[in-house]
Amino acid sequence: MPSVTIYSEEELVMLLRQQSRDAFNYLYQHYAAVLYGIINRVIYDEQTSQDVLQEVFIKIWNNINQFDPAKGRIYTWMINIARNAAIDKLRSKGEIMKSKIHTGEEIVNTVGNDMKTEQATDAIGLRKLVSDLKPEYQTIIELAYFKGFTLDEISKTLQIPLGTVKTRMRHAIKTLKETFSK
Amino acid sequence: MNVKEYIESGVLEAYVLGALTESERAEVDANLLQYPELADEIAVIEMTMQRFTENFAKETPAGLQDKIWDTLQKESIPNSFSQETDESKSIHKTIPLERTRELSPEIRWQRAAIWIALVASLLVNFMLWSQRNKMQDSELAMQQHIDTMQQQEQQLAKLMDNHSKEIDIMADTSVHTIIMKSMKPGHPMVATVYWSSDKGATYVAAQKLPMPPKGMQYQMWVIQKGQPVSMGMLPNKLIASASMARLPMDVKEGQAFAISLEKEGGSKLPTPENIYVLGKI
Repeated sequence: MPSVTIYSEEELVMLLRQQSRDAFNYLYQHYAAVLYGIINRVIYDEQTSQDVLQEVFIKIWNNINQFDPAKGRIYTWMINIARNAAIDKLRSKGEIMKSKIHTGEEIVNTVGNDMKTEQATDAIGLRKLVSDLKPEYQTIIELAYFKGFTLDEISKTLQIPLGTVKTRMRHAIKTLKETFSK
Repeated sequence: MNVKEYIESGVLEAYVLGALTESERAEVDANLLQYPELADEIAVIEMTMQRFTENFAKETPAGLQDKIWDTLQKESIPNSFSQETDESKSIHKTIPLERTRELSPEIRWQRAAIWIALVASLLVNFMLWSQRNKMQDSELAMQQHIDTMQQQEQQLAKLMDNHSKEIDIMADTSVHTIIMKSMKPGHPMVATVYWSSDKGATYVAAQKLPMPPKGMQYQMWVIQKGQPVSMGMLPNKLIASASMARLPMDVKEGQAFAISLEKEGGSKLPTPENIYVLGKI
């Protein structure tokens, strides 16, 4: 049941620092679905995703005192905790190492196939959103944001120059921005 | 720095997407402090990615909220500082594929330097070690050479000593030289006795005597009052070397010296047909 009250970023930080049940409930009801969605995007297994989501809440809970609002938004902070925890889990499970054994081309194909599956199962809005993005942009966002590849790794995997990887990132996000502002 | 070009390069997008290495990220962080307009750009990218991720929102299973709350009660560290400060500080952290791979340049250099130093040290050690082995070998060879030379020198000194003694004896006017000649026609044999008539000392040198057959030995005799008296056996070494040796018996008087071939250990009287050489005094 979503909470009626909507807190601002600063209020949310204050609330979380109280470490009350109400604070947790608010956090969960407003952010669990997004964080779970990100985790599940990285790790397809549902059970593992739920375990990681729990780890993420523990991290948010325990590190809220170290969060510095001057350095960025709490939402971004939480998203990054979720993303990093999920990528960490993916690596620890050796899944990415397994895929690394294959050639770069195969990885690209795998990523592409995953995208197709997602496209088939996800909500209509997302399907449209992803299809708005050129395939080369989809791949780069997928590898960087959801698989934790560095520029260098993306460049080597896709066999395109480093500069091209960066400009494609810029174009991809620009396209997304324009889609959202429609 | 051209801020516009920097933004256009896409490095800020890479920063938000978490695709930068530790050092690349530190560079962007440094630039952020210097150029506040970069922060605005990053905020826009972050908002876009936030909107993007919201599209993936997925309903969590029932009961998970309570389960996590229970775990939080057990595992949380309320209002305390945890060790996970990295998490809060570096929100755009890149997780390297292998955790140890993304080292800071200093540490990488330090590691490289340590490895280089280690390898160099091993090489130098090996070189010194093999050099030392070679030195030891040559030192040993040198020592052996010196030993050989010392032995040769001793032998030479001994030989010189013998020769000078021989010269002394030969120069002594009281010493008679008795040349013993072959008693076997057709067999040219010769041996010499140096006899000091006043002191009685007698030396013998076998200039030309065949080596005795196995089981036989040369025996030295002095003829005194017509009777042969044994002066002892001549060692084969003496025959082979043709050097001079003092006989174990002093001779005060006599008429002749002779050498006969006898059975090993000698005979009481010389075997007449085996007297090889004889010289009258």
